[in-house]
Amino acid sequence: MICTGCSCLCDDVEIRDGKILNACYRGYKVYSKLSENRARALVDRREVSVDDAIEKAVEILGQAKNPALYGFDTTTVEAQEVAVKIAEKLNAFIDDNSSFCLGEVVEAILKKDVPSTTLEDVRDQAYVIFYWGANPYSSAPRHMSKFTYYPRGMKRLKGYEDRFLVVVDVRRSETAKLAKKNAIFIKVESDDELVESFNLALEGKAGKYAKEVGTVITELKRSDFNAMFVGLGLKYGVRNLDGFFEMIRKINRVAKLYLIPSAFHSNMRGFNEVLFEKTGSINKFSFKEQRSDKLFAFTELLKRDEIDAVLLLGTDPLSSIPFEISKKIMRIKTVVVDPKMSLTAKIAKVVVPSAFSGFESSGTMVRSDGVRKRLEPIEEKEVNDLWILKKISEGL
Amino acid sequence: MPISPMDIYKLLPKTNCKKCGEMTCMSFAFKLLNKEKKLEDCKPLFEEKKYEKQKEKLIEILKPLEKAKETGLIVNEDLCNGCGNCVVACPVHVERDPHGAMIGKISSDDAILRIENGKVRVLNLEICRRYGKNRILCIVCRENCPTDAISFLEG
Repeated sequence: MICTGCSCLCDDVEIRDGKILNACYRGYKVYSKLSENRARALVDRREVSVDDAIEKAVEILGQAKNPALYGFDTTTVEAQEVAVKIAEKLNAFIDDNSSFCLGEVVEAILKKDVPSTTLEDVRDQAYVIFYWGANPYSSAPRHMSKFTYYPRGMKRLKGYEDRFLVVVDVRRSETAKLAKKNAIFIKVESDDELVESFNLALEGKAGKYAKEVGTVITELKRSDFNAMFVGLGLKYGVRNLDGFFEMIRKINRVAKLYLIPSAFHSNMRGFNEVLFEKTGSINKFSFKEQRSDKLFAFTELLKRDEIDAVLLLGTDPLSSIPFEISKKIMRIKTVVVDPKMSLTAKIAKVVVPSAFSGFESSGTMVRSDGVRKRLEPIEEKEVNDLWILKKISEGL
Repeated sequence: MPISPMDIYKLLPKTNCKKCGEMTCMSFAFKLLNKEKKLEDCKPLFEEKKYEKQKEKLIEILKPLEKAKETGLIVNEDLCNGCGNCVVACPVHVERDPHGAMIGKISSDDAILRIENGKVRVLNLEICRRYGKNRILCIVCRENCPTDAISFLEG
């Protein structure tokens, strides 16, 4: 079975004698709480049949002047394709969590601004494993043990003894605690200063972190394959991400360094790729104006009261977005498609219960490095995200 | 809290009476820590009243011993989040499971540690390098645990 708890999409998870083997605690929790707090088909908080709920959803979306579609990060690529079609039909805004997650990094990789590689190659060849602003211990627990630092690979026969770990963080995180032998932990106050130190070091000058940066560059030069994993700490740490990508390109002139986003929702990259193929942008897209803009991010749309209806799939903005902004959802007509009775589902106009992609419905998902994985569900439920979105699309 | 043989020795009668079968109280302390002897083997401690307080303290100190496995391994499941670093890093697994734990896929039944229900579980302790007479004090699993969920009696 493939675990869809995070973007690692671990493919060696087994269920034997009622026990779930090999999955981390995060994946186990998703699986063990599968049947708890399931959503029911609701219209105006009254229980109805699924078909009636879908009919009402179609009515709301069809009548809306400025509808938006938001979420789609935990569903399959097939469902995401239908969602993009619905947005096109409605001339709607479409956005996902990547607008405040690692969207920019995925965009830079898809546009081939920075070199990237697959996690299998990292396992086989990478020498320097570089975590910047990421703590895989909590975001993707098996990241280090399954793909990057610990496993032995073709050119790294001794596993972690054959690698060099670099951790950059503002605090001594759990991942930073692992930086012991053959490793360096750089505690930064500002990520910008470290970017500047790297730029200066490559020009032969000394910046604030000259000693640490010197060690890292020496180690990078020792191998022709190094990998950097960036997390949200970087995105919210540096003022200018383009400057960071420029630094990666500069480093690549002296040593090969590939960039991979560390972890996010199970299929966030899938959404970015689907929309990129269709429109050339990865998120925050308006089909009415045929362009992507910062102002079209879901949070911005809510702030400026620009939308009057929204289709939310597989996301719970009331608990993930600051309440100051997300409370505005209560003022617009909301259609929630979710397997669970989330906080947003409780205040929604229409709730359509769905299935968990990966556990209860099949399809394809894209891992954080862009490798497509075919899901192997335990059971197949008829009413899943794809079925619901197709019905809505037909209704429109 | 790691327990040292010295801590145990300090609380023993220190008379080297040899009633336990050991030559000295110090060697008895070592064997106690390795689970080769039991505290009840120290007869004076239980028979003579003047050692009453020391006996109580020793029982208190040796409580973690009951939790520990034969190799001195103590797993605190509350701290574990199932990252699997210990399973992949373990040198025994490399030899036993070259297509599984060695390359990060942890699936073998023939392993010392395995992740079950999101927590690390001990499966086959007897293949651990710390087990038996010719043991070596390997600490690879503890070294690579980010939350100190794995610890050993000696610290």
